[in-house]
Amino acid sequence: MTKVTMKVNGRKVGADVPDQTLLSEFLRENLRLTGTHVGCDTSQCGACAVHVNGKVVKACTALAVSLEGAEVTTIEGVANGELHPMQVAFNDNHGLQCGFCTPGMIMAGIDMVNRYREEGRELDAAAIRHELEGNICRCTGYHNIVKSIQDAAAKM
Amino acid sequence: MEMSGEHRIAAPRDTVWAALNDPDVLRACIPGCESLEKTSDTTMEAVVRQKIGPVKARFNGAVELLNIDAPKSYTIQGEGKGGVAGFAKGSADVRLAEDAGETVLTYTAQAQIGGKLAQLGNRLVGSTARKLAQQFFVNFHNHLTDEDPPEA
Amino acid sequence: MTSGIGQNVKRKEDKRFITGKGRYTDDHRNDNQAYAAFVRSPHAHAKVLGIDAEEARGMEGVIDVLDGHQLTGDGIGNLICGWAITSKDGSPMNMGAWSALATDTVRYVGDAVAVVIAETNAQARIAAEAVMVDYEELPVVVHAIDALKDGAPQIHDNAPGNLIYDWELGDEAATDAGLAEAAHVTTLDLTNNRLSPNPMEPRSAVATYDHAEDHYTLYTTSQNPHVARLVLSAFYNVAPEHKLRVIAPDVGGGFGAKIYIYPEEITCLWASMKTNRSVKWTSERGEAFLTDMHGRDHVTHAKMGFDKDGRITGFKIDTIANLGAYMSLFSSSVPTYLYAPLMSGQYDIQNIHCNVRAVYTNTVPVDAYRGAGRPEATYLVERMMETAAREMGMDPAELRRRNFVQEFPHQTPVLMQYDAGDFPKILELAQEAADVAGFEERRREAESRGKLRGIGYSTFIEACGLAPSKAAGSLGAGVGLWESAEVRVNPAGTIEILTGSHSHGQGHETTFAQIVAERFGVPVDSVQIVHGDTDKVQFGMGTYGSRSGPVGMSAVVKAMDKVEEKVRQIAAHTLEASEDDIEISGGQVKVKGTDKAMAWHEVGLAAYVAHNLPDGMEPGLKETAFFDPVNFSFPSGAFICEVEVDPDTGQTQVVRFTSADDFGVIVNPMIVEGQVHGGVTQGIGQALLEQVVYDEQGQLLTGSYMDYTMPRAADVPFFDVQHHETPSPNNPLGVKGCGEAGAIGAPPAVINAITDAIGTNDLAMPATPQAVWRALRAAQKPMAAE
Repeated sequence: MTKVTMKVNGRKVGADVPDQTLLSEFLRENLRLTGTHVGCDTSQCGACAVHVNGKVVKACTALAVSLEGAEVTTIEGVANGELHPMQVAFNDNHGLQCGFCTPGMIMAGIDMVNRYREEGRELDAAAIRHELEGNICRCTGYHNIVKSIQDAAAKM
Repeated sequence: MEMSGEHRIAAPRDTVWAALNDPDVLRACIPGCESLEKTSDTTMEAVVRQKIGPVKARFNGAVELLNIDAPKSYTIQGEGKGGVAGFAKGSADVRLAEDAGETVLTYTAQAQIGGKLAQLGNRLVGSTARKLAQQFFVNFHNHLTDEDPPEA
Repeated sequence: MTSGIGQNVKRKEDKRFITGKGRYTDDHRNDNQAYAAFVRSPHAHAKVLGIDAEEARGMEGVIDVLDGHQLTGDGIGNLICGWAITSKDGSPMNMGAWSALATDTVRYVGDAVAVVIAETNAQARIAAEAVMVDYEELPVVVHAIDALKDGAPQIHDNAPGNLIYDWELGDEAATDAGLAEAAHVTTLDLTNNRLSPNPMEPRSAVATYDHAEDHYTLYTTSQNPHVARLVLSAFYNVAPEHKLRVIAPDVGGGFGAKIYIYPEEITCLWASMKTNRSVKWTSERGEAFLTDMHGRDHVTHAKMGFDKDGRITGFKIDTIANLGAYMSLFSSSVPTYLYAPLMSGQYDIQNIHCNVRAVYTNTVPVDAYRGAGRPEATYLVERMMETAAREMGMDPAELRRRNFVQEFPHQTPVLMQYDAGDFPKILELAQEAADVAGFEERRREAESRGKLRGIGYSTFIEACGLAPSKAAGSLGAGVGLWESAEVRVNPAGTIEILTGSHSHGQGHETTFAQIVAERFGVPVDSVQIVHGDTDKVQFGMGTYGSRSGPVGMSAVVKAMDKVEEKVRQIAAHTLEASEDDIEISGGQVKVKGTDKAMAWHEVGLAAYVAHNLPDGMEPGLKETAFFDPVNFSFPSGAFICEVEVDPDTGQTQVVRFTSADDFGVIVNPMIVEGQVHGGVTQGIGQALLEQVVYDEQGQLLTGSYMDYTMPRAADVPFFDVQHHETPSPNNPLGVKGCGEAGAIGAPPAVINAITDAIGTNDLAMPATPQAVWRALRAAQKPMAAE
């Protein structure tokens, strides 16, 4: 067991966890932030994507104890009172069906819009599809996910 | 999965043969071998810890020597159970030929894996097995000659 | 009205999903939660000689280790297949015993033999590794064709030669005669590749036994919680129905894989009673590949004959279906009654004969996966049409057109009576939208970039809306396939709809509310959809087979009819008017042609305060209805796919995909189009990427997303979805269902496009770059030899 503290969704949290505890487990089981989903065990599906120190990270690839002092934002923390434009865009464009991959898609979408903007690159549909390599959706055929991210990019 | 190889060992054939039948030598040379005990003249029990791709397992194995034609050839056959990780089994036909006071060892081996090992590690089994075989013969050569093997 | 039928109403359920507040099964955790980990066979076929759990029992956190002998000893019944198929010789199908935990024999890699219950998930999994099982390996058979060979390993004693049934549909002599008189016969040998459904939410179960009440509660990832309860109760003897509550909360996709009642749910329920703890199990993805029912896996030889004008004279099909190691819940129906009756496609074919042999192999059981039988039939029919057109030198669209059914109702020789459709119209719609006229120019342009461009069609029909109970029963189904609904109008006028349909992505909370809004003129937000809980909804058959629209919504309409009847009576009584003069619109219940009206909520209140009801009327405003359709519904579609193939690498890109669908009346086009996008993508996945692979020892080689290729965003284009509505005459809304169309119609369109591009018909699914490259090289051989 190792004591780990981090800031999750703006709140300071800490717990004694077994060393092998993944960030995804820490969020789901210790903090009960169950919006971060686990859809595979080989870090391919992206349902567990969160932001760590401002960058998108698959929470199943990081050990909780390796993130001492980190700032983590999960799907529960992106809204700040009213919905984030990316969340609104997913609703407006029917970018979700079963909703299981959605938190990861939204976290990946916010990250890619921010990143492309910082780098001064154009985030067109082809770039969005390429950027979604690490996020699998089985319901939507990606059509409306790509549209959602395009829509949000224009409004963020 | 099948593989084969040839190794030249700077030791007489009788010495090599004896080493191939010596549990202490095998224990020292098999990568990841934690224990290896003789249970009869031709059978042994072994515990080997190995990692194939993302799967790490401790195998409890039984090893049997068949088709013994001392000091020229035998078939070594084994099966290891790794619990939830699955299993690995295989056999190797090993031949020893004399050549100028040294020994040329040739083998053809086939191996099979199952369970989680196959599910996740299948693509890596070939390369892992070759690496382990290479490691074994390096160890084996060093053990018998106290020096590194000549470059192949 | 902006929220009624035909409107793009944004989904009500989205808010919880986009904010991370969805409540899926694994999100539920009880105070006394314990965790289950299963000990699974690493062998595809073996005798279980013994289980040594002593070390595991002594490990930290372990509460108990339970095995199959204890399970069967407690009277837990074997898993069953609920659809009885009769072989053509009159003999019943050969169903082998399947225990939730294997007792003496394991028959596929992943077959569970024991379960460890521990304080934490990690402790359970670590202890499961310490359970030592002594196996004696048996010979293995993986492929269906091999399983039928003499001397093949025998998987179940009561299925000699591994044959489950040898079944036929249609008139063989007439079909042979039709083929004999044909001017041209096209022959095809096709494999329909084995797939893993892969809903993104892995299966999960949280089972809790309450000793004081002798009552069980199961949270589970189910498409049909009532069927789960029925089967758990009636066949698996877990508990009588009134002592078992099954809740399917938010469910992250199903696609068929979550229809069935699996060994894990049964075991968790039983284990919660044995250990007096709430027991949770959540599948890892690797476990899902090993245990979620697979789909497809057919090998087929077929012949289609044509007269000199290209009219079909006969169609003869011989299929071998791999059902895996055990017969799953609806497995038997998939390659029979969900397959052969679709062989007429959109075409007027007088002579069809389909023979199906279903066999056991040492693989994961195979059952319904999105489309279930209909994709397999459609792939065969539509590859046949395209191949025949090429062989006869005809335009593939023209060959189809010549054979289209033109008049309805149309009786096929394989059971189905098509009720409505306009096949030439949807083909025309698709051709226009896809700019087929401009294709040759696009082909030339692609050629200038070194790419081979091809175009492929698929014009298909589905039998959806499962199903008339009487018909299903006569064909062997063990259940009725109606749906139920309850409409509760509350005293303040808000409405709750309780439905036996289950939404796991389909958007029922919105679309079901839309049909209520349309009918009663109330805002969508004042309608709440309640589903997925056997304690709340009386009964239901669940969601699969594109049945929520045609069957589930129809039940709601029937219940609304009854509510409306009572509303009219109350309003007529209160407003002193004739019932016939009452109309309901815009939230008002009015007397036609007058200004006399009650607000909708005033009627609700009147029903519950009951101060002034017509004599003899019961208080309250709540009605229940069951809807049993008189026929299947028959959605149809025309898909046109364009691909570009890189001849150097074999890499195929779907560059254009157009669908023109006839789903009957559409309640919410946005949601319907989403269903098409997802279905088509699964179809593209089957055509290009997905394949479950076993080695000869029955080891699963595609056991993770590293090896099983799921369609990613860059694998698919934007889709052009067109609609044409011919209402179904067999349900009150005229809807046909839309969930499966994409998965049914897309694979042949994609393969027809690739084979058009590379100039050879000899290509199997999945058309991986390697497969396409090889086919291309094989077709070019004469040139290469120069």
